[in-house]
Amino acid sequence: MTSVDMPETVPVTVLTGYLGAGKTTLLNRILTHEHGKKVAVIVNEFGEVGIDNQLVIDADEEIFEMNNGCICCTVRGDLIRIIGNLMKRRDQFDHLVIETTGLADPAPVIQTFFVDEDMRDRINLDAVVTVVDAKHIHQHWEADEAQEQIAFADIILLNKTDLVSESALAELETRIRGMNALSKVYRTREAAVEMEAILGVNAFDLNRALEIDPSFLEEEAHEHDETVGSVALVEPGAIDGPKLNEWLSHLLQTQGPDIFRMKGILNIAGEDLRFVFQGVHMLFDGRPDRPWKADETRKNELVFIGRNLDVTQLQKDFRACLI
Amino acid sequence: MPDLVNTPLFSLTWQGQLSDYVTAMDWSPDGRWLALASGAGDVQLLNVAEQQTLAFEPPTGQSIDCLQFSPDSQFLAAGGQRGQVKIWRLSDTLGAFPQLWLSLDYSRTWVEHLAWRPTRLELAFSLGRYVQVWDIVNQTLNTTLAFESSSVLGLVWRPSGDSLVVGGHQGVKLWSAQDWDEKPVLRELSAASVTLSISADGQYLASGNLDNTLLVWRWESPYPWMMRGFPGKVRHLAWSTTMLRAAPLIASASGASLVTWRKQIDDEDGWDSKGFNRHQGKIVALAFQPGKSLLASAAEDGQLMLWQKAKRVGQILQGVSRGFSTLAWHPRGHLLAAGGQQGEWRIWEQSIRGQGFQKVME
Repeated sequence: MTSVDMPETVPVTVLTGYLGAGKTTLLNRILTHEHGKKVAVIVNEFGEVGIDNQLVIDADEEIFEMNNGCICCTVRGDLIRIIGNLMKRRDQFDHLVIETTGLADPAPVIQTFFVDEDMRDRINLDAVVTVVDAKHIHQHWEADEAQEQIAFADIILLNKTDLVSESALAELETRIRGMNALSKVYRTREAAVEMEAILGVNAFDLNRALEIDPSFLEEEAHEHDETVGSVALVEPGAIDGPKLNEWLSHLLQTQGPDIFRMKGILNIAGEDLRFVFQGVHMLFDGRPDRPWKADETRKNELVFIGRNLDVTQLQKDFRACLI
Repeated sequence: MPDLVNTPLFSLTWQGQLSDYVTAMDWSPDGRWLALASGAGDVQLLNVAEQQTLAFEPPTGQSIDCLQFSPDSQFLAAGGQRGQVKIWRLSDTLGAFPQLWLSLDYSRTWVEHLAWRPTRLELAFSLGRYVQVWDIVNQTLNTTLAFESSSVLGLVWRPSGDSLVVGGHQGVKLWSAQDWDEKPVLRELSAASVTLSISADGQYLASGNLDNTLLVWRWESPYPWMMRGFPGKVRHLAWSTTMLRAAPLIASASGASLVTWRKQIDDEDGWDSKGFNRHQGKIVALAFQPGKSLLASAAEDGQLMLWQKAKRVGQILQGVSRGFSTLAWHPRGHLLAAGGQQGEWRIWEQSIRGQGFQKVME
């Protein structure tokens, strides 16, 4: 029998943000940093990406609906096709960067990597990086895409900080943290950020513990101007597994389209291992993690990022799952 | 492995190497040539009788993804990542390189599918959401067809040459080659088509789909049979050229699973399935030996299995370092070619004993 080495998975970075926010500048920084590596870049429009020896492929955003029993989601047909073609190489690429347009919904891109069997086997989604134009974002607040790109992000670059005042920047940052309590926010000029901050993040790796901005948890009430926001639930005690399962299933069935992302660490009654999970819309991915440490306080932490989230209801329903 | 026979059915006769992953392979209908292409863009012609290799397209770093000989074996067409379709005319002179006949350039559009009309020198190929059909002798564009709902994900001609069948998201469209302006017939799907196949008699159309289903239509009927229970997307299909009861058998591959389907006499009874899980990696190609019931399946696990009567593994062929990528039967069925993910190609020849009584009776 021939031994078959399973190829290692390739990390993917998804870049989102409005036209002119600084995505291409960031992309060129990534390509310069990864000089010597094989990077495949999938763009929506050929821009000023001009690094030698890198593979730049033009994509045409194609949304495919997938209905699989009770789960429905959308995936990017163009990505499945293009990445499928790119896999037909003896030496595959080391890193894949996908740049979306400012008008793209990030969800189908993320869901593609969770749902498609080839992507799941070969690709690991490293992080969604959103570049925000600190000066001009105000013109786009009303657009669903602008809010969604912030809501789905693991990393947010507040770019063009030189064009706005410190107070305006602080206000913007607070507003963004209120929308997405899970992301890391960096202030940048010309998208200059340490590459370690945006590459090798493993934001979708369940082994990586839930990281919530502590200041978000401390604040009691969040004033939301936006319909998009984050809800964090922190409760001591143990959870009734079946009850929680029932609640989450119901929640995703009824509010899946409005729940962009969720993450959590749970203390399930009778279990010695922490239970970790994440979700994107109706897709749910969870499993037992490491054992609770002896000196660790067992508790439950959940964060939802979504549209029109009812904090009181979520809190009430979650507490009902406690033993 | 109890079901292995002692006598090898096929034995290795020739082998070689391309510069990268073997993406496409086709035998000329007259059986003289085998054409091969790779993920790095090189194209080679092999003359099997003379054991001669013509490496006439060097690697460019951009893949060739589809390649096919014309029905008269005079032309070879190839398309790929560069957005280029090239058509070469083959030479009768031994050892002479084929001459470039026509080159069509469409920058930034990956040409993923092409197919010659079985009855004329016309070539159809995909360009994103469009299909173009060219008259190759006169070098003129016959038509541009818009698939509309998505990029073109599959392209096949009905063997009679009267229809061009194009698959994509939520549908398969059937264009009449008699009148390209006529609205295509739509066969609806709930998901995207991954692969298309029409039986040799032109009576059945099958689409393997992204939502783990296989749909089969009788040619005239809008109502399909739906086959479910696959572990993943249905990627490869092969119709047997021999008939079983009233219909040919269809083999389907999904992940590492191989499933064959046999039609019941009564349409209402549908198709009977048999599942086989001998492969340990994704099946990458599936084809019946021409005129026979021997089925070949090649997989990423580095195994090429030969299934006697599409039921029993009669032989396992190996010899690539990291899994197969494609396979193709010689039109007479006595040679089997396969390509590997590291660029290897292998050709096996059927032994006299393996051909059994049928050979004697022919």
